[in-house]
Amino acid sequence: MSYSTNRVATANMYENATRNLMTRQTSLANLQDNLTSGKRVERASDDPVAAAQAERAMTRISRIQTDQRALDAQRSAVAQAESSLGDAVDLMQQMRELVVSAGSGTFTNSDRVTVANQLQGLRTQLLDVANRKDTNGVPLLSALGSAATPFLNAMGQFDGLAGQTTGSSVGIPSALDGDAAFMFQPQRDGVFNASVDTATPATHGLGSSAVTSTNPTQIALDPSGNAFQYQINVTYIAGTAPNTLAAQYSVTSTPAGAPLNGTNPFTSADFNPSQPASVPVTAIPGLSLNLTGQPQVGDTVQLTLKPSNGIFDTIDSAIHDIGTAGSSSAASQAVGQALANIDSGLARLQTVRSYAGDLLNRADNISGNQQKRSVQLEADRSNAVDLDMIKGVSDFQNQQVGYDAALKSYSMVQKLSLFNYIS
Amino acid sequence: MSLLNVGSRALLANQVALQTTGNNIANVNTPGYSRQSVVVQTMPGQFTGGGYIGKGVDVQTILRNQSDLLTRQATAAAAVDAGNSARSQSLLQLQDVFSGGTSGLGTAINSMMNALSDVVSSPTDMTARNVALTSMDETGKRMVAASAQLDDIASSVNEQLKGDVNTINQLAQNIASVNDQIARAKGNGQPPNDLLDQRDQLVRNLNKYIQTTQVTADDGTLSVFVAGSQPLVLGNKAGSVSIGDPKDFGAASGQKSLLFQQPGASSMQELSGTALGGGEVAGLLSFQNSDLQEGYQLLNRMATAISLSLNAQNELGVTLDGSMGKALFADVVPAQPTAASTNTSAASMGVTFSDPTKLSANSYLVSFSSATTGTITTQPGGQPENFGGPGQPTLAGYFSSHGLQSTLSGPPNAGDQFLVDPMKGAAAKMQAQQLSPTQLAAASPVNAQMGAANAGTLQLASLNATGQPATTGFVPPPSPVLPATTGGGVTLTFASGPPATFTVAGNATPLMDVSATPPVPLAGPPYTYTAGQAITIDGWAITLAGAPKAGDTVTVGNALDPQYGDGYQRNTGNATALMNLRDAKMFDGATLSDGFASAMAQVGTRTQSAQYAQELSSSLAANLEGDRTAVSGVNLDEEAARLIQYQQAYQASAKMIQVAQNIFDTLITSMGH
Repeated sequence: MSYSTNRVATANMYENATRNLMTRQTSLANLQDNLTSGKRVERASDDPVAAAQAERAMTRISRIQTDQRALDAQRSAVAQAESSLGDAVDLMQQMRELVVSAGSGTFTNSDRVTVANQLQGLRTQLLDVANRKDTNGVPLLSALGSAATPFLNAMGQFDGLAGQTTGSSVGIPSALDGDAAFMFQPQRDGVFNASVDTATPATHGLGSSAVTSTNPTQIALDPSGNAFQYQINVTYIAGTAPNTLAAQYSVTSTPAGAPLNGTNPFTSADFNPSQPASVPVTAIPGLSLNLTGQPQVGDTVQLTLKPSNGIFDTIDSAIHDIGTAGSSSAASQAVGQALANIDSGLARLQTVRSYAGDLLNRADNISGNQQKRSVQLEADRSNAVDLDMIKGVSDFQNQQVGYDAALKSYSMVQKLSLFNYIS
Repeated sequence: MSLLNVGSRALLANQVALQTTGNNIANVNTPGYSRQSVVVQTMPGQFTGGGYIGKGVDVQTILRNQSDLLTRQATAAAAVDAGNSARSQSLLQLQDVFSGGTSGLGTAINSMMNALSDVVSSPTDMTARNVALTSMDETGKRMVAASAQLDDIASSVNEQLKGDVNTINQLAQNIASVNDQIARAKGNGQPPNDLLDQRDQLVRNLNKYIQTTQVTADDGTLSVFVAGSQPLVLGNKAGSVSIGDPKDFGAASGQKSLLFQQPGASSMQELSGTALGGGEVAGLLSFQNSDLQEGYQLLNRMATAISLSLNAQNELGVTLDGSMGKALFADVVPAQPTAASTNTSAASMGVTFSDPTKLSANSYLVSFSSATTGTITTQPGGQPENFGGPGQPTLAGYFSSHGLQSTLSGPPNAGDQFLVDPMKGAAAKMQAQQLSPTQLAAASPVNAQMGAANAGTLQLASLNATGQPATTGFVPPPSPVLPATTGGGVTLTFASGPPATFTVAGNATPLMDVSATPPVPLAGPPYTYTAGQAITIDGWAITLAGAPKAGDTVTVGNALDPQYGDGYQRNTGNATALMNLRDAKMFDGATLSDGFASAMAQVGTRTQSAQYAQELSSSLAANLEGDRTAVSGVNLDEEAARLIQYQQAYQASAKMIQVAQNIFDTLITSMGH
């Protein structure tokens, strides 16, 4: 207060009292404002730092909501993609059963043509599954960017940019790599199709087993990065030991110049002609197959080994080979090859499908984290600007009591005057 | 006989005392009234043989009780209080423009950026694109509305200043005329108490508008000075003040100053704002010239940075119909610097925006001390910084570190000044262009493809155009250099290491390391590969994750090339880049999404400190006023006591007259017969 002398002006006294009353009433009204709005900080000037904190917390909360909405869209796309791959696996299993049935010895040519037609039907369904789109018309298996229909009908090629996007800390990719799911790479999968061009004589059941790859990384690539197509000309000759046969074969490649494990012509080890033959061909790096049949000296057989570039190509080969197999030995050749290649295809589909499963798990984790962050941010915001109700109510009551006291003292003091005693 | 005289004189004196007391009681609530008290003195005694016989009492003067020192102090404190209060109230209005919460401008800006997320989730969905474009339109309109609110505040402050200035002039005239009357009345020998009270009250009222200092002259007139030494009232002549634009930069500076015209002079003098001291005019001028300007600058900077950044990124993308994007907002044309009216050279200064993320929320006053050296002061409220000398930045260097590029048309002379305020009016002109949904450039102009035979775990994290870094500092991004067309492209080939490295084939310009300022060539080839770090090539940037095996390749192609068909319509690289602008640091280190929160805090802090200042000065003024009225105010109880006192004395004097009369009667009666 003032240091003044022992005198106070009446007008000034009333003025001071009025001003104090007004001040108290204003702070009472402000506290009431706070109580009704539930906020301690209503304007930035009440507490600028807290107001800015609350604003930033709100910004982050709305960002989390946006990220979650995007994550939901991504999760649904990946779930659809995963179920498409599951459907593809089912279709491949059905095809496998059909192919197995086509290897039955009791089937005639027309039966095998029927099987081939059924396989064609399943292939069409598989193509539709591979080309499925999400609710916005974006293909599920579009990888890094594809045409609106990622898999072309004719050759089953993938019309797009192979690769996979990563997610981020708050999202997962919304498309899977269709190229990785449906296409083969020579040095990763090593899928070839062995077929018999000519066999002389046709009655000896000359052919080969399915060509498999024990070590795909050793498969040779031509200058444009594709695998070679090989042609094997086999002639059965008498072996070095008496009463044995050996296979002499030479390998040519298209384009020419493929490296071989040795030089043409190759001679196999001797084998006993009285049992069904199983002559290993080891000339081609990374590939192995066995010559089969009941050969005699002088028999010849010509085989073609064609690399397969994808699941659809493999199925097309199987349909062609099974449908046109003239004998049951040719049929079993085709069936054996088709089964091996279908299994390779299933392996690719399963790989990508399990990656999709990983992504869905990741999405759940992200969701959980975002939830926690959201709760934390809301707590931050509330701490910064919300009113602690108990403190607020107690402050309000204090102010009320103080205001009451000020009013009472004002009314009492104004009754005291010397004029009351002069009469 | 003499008793009668003594008695009648005493009666008269006590009557005057009673009247004076009555006057005090009547004026208890009159503002500015100083309590009057009667000064009585005894009459000199008459010499007689028996001693000096007293001759009674006489009223010497009616004394006006007041203390010059306390009056001056109280008036000055009231002036400061009025100034603080005016500034604080105006700041409360300013703060409303920067209010936060779900209906604030900050939320609008963030919704606009977050709406792009739906475009990323569904790039071919027209609804999502429409929503994003509509949000941008909304934000533009909100910014314009906020700027209009600031304009409203400015014009109402201006009106208030005009009214205050008229009142000041009126009061000055009144003081001058009261001075005249007091000078004349002084000749009568007694102080004209009521006129003096009136004058003091006029000075007190004047101080509410502008703080003054007073000097009393010998002839009793009061000279009133404003701004330290300008004579507003001299004797019976009054000067006048008015509000006008500052002389050096005129209306372009956005500031106002107080102009003073001496009585009888014809020219106006500009009063410096800092010399004004207190008073409503000083408070409002301080608000107008510093607080309001900061509000404008904060808003304009947000509008400028957001418009330029979003425009630049959209122009780097591909629309749904296969053309490069256009600007999303109307282009921000920088306001050119103003030359001071006192400049002697014909040089002019030009300025353009070079980096919207480095802009700071103020204008600059450039003062040349020679053709290449001088000082730069940021306004409002900054310290002058030297430029051009040894160890100091050049003028161009200083501005480029603040996101501007400055040019001079010719050499300036020493003493030339320029006011640089390039963002002026940006918020009022912010407008979203009316684009159709297909014109939102969501796709990136480049696409990537992993090598078919890749054996490692490389994955694509992001790929978008960023603009080309130049070797001498960042310039606004032009179009990227797109990779070659059909069959071609830029190929990155990796080696597994460790450490993993890569080489690049097919790029048009050497690789740059943009993390350095200015960008330097990247060390290599072979360049070091770090998962998750962006690789900048030819104006676009690719970020990869995972570990490569030897021979893995990534091929980046031109997304619009016919070999890729319409794949770009489903690409969202540029929309992701637009969204990532949310985290670009552009407001003194705060990101785009947090920019409004910091502006809010800045204005809030100013308001809060103004409120504290006002509370302090208000209680100080109240205390000093209490001290002043302790001396010059009327206390009713005191006056009541005096009433009784003088009434008793009056009765005693009347009794004295009665006794004198009795004595006379006795004398006459005894002499009668």
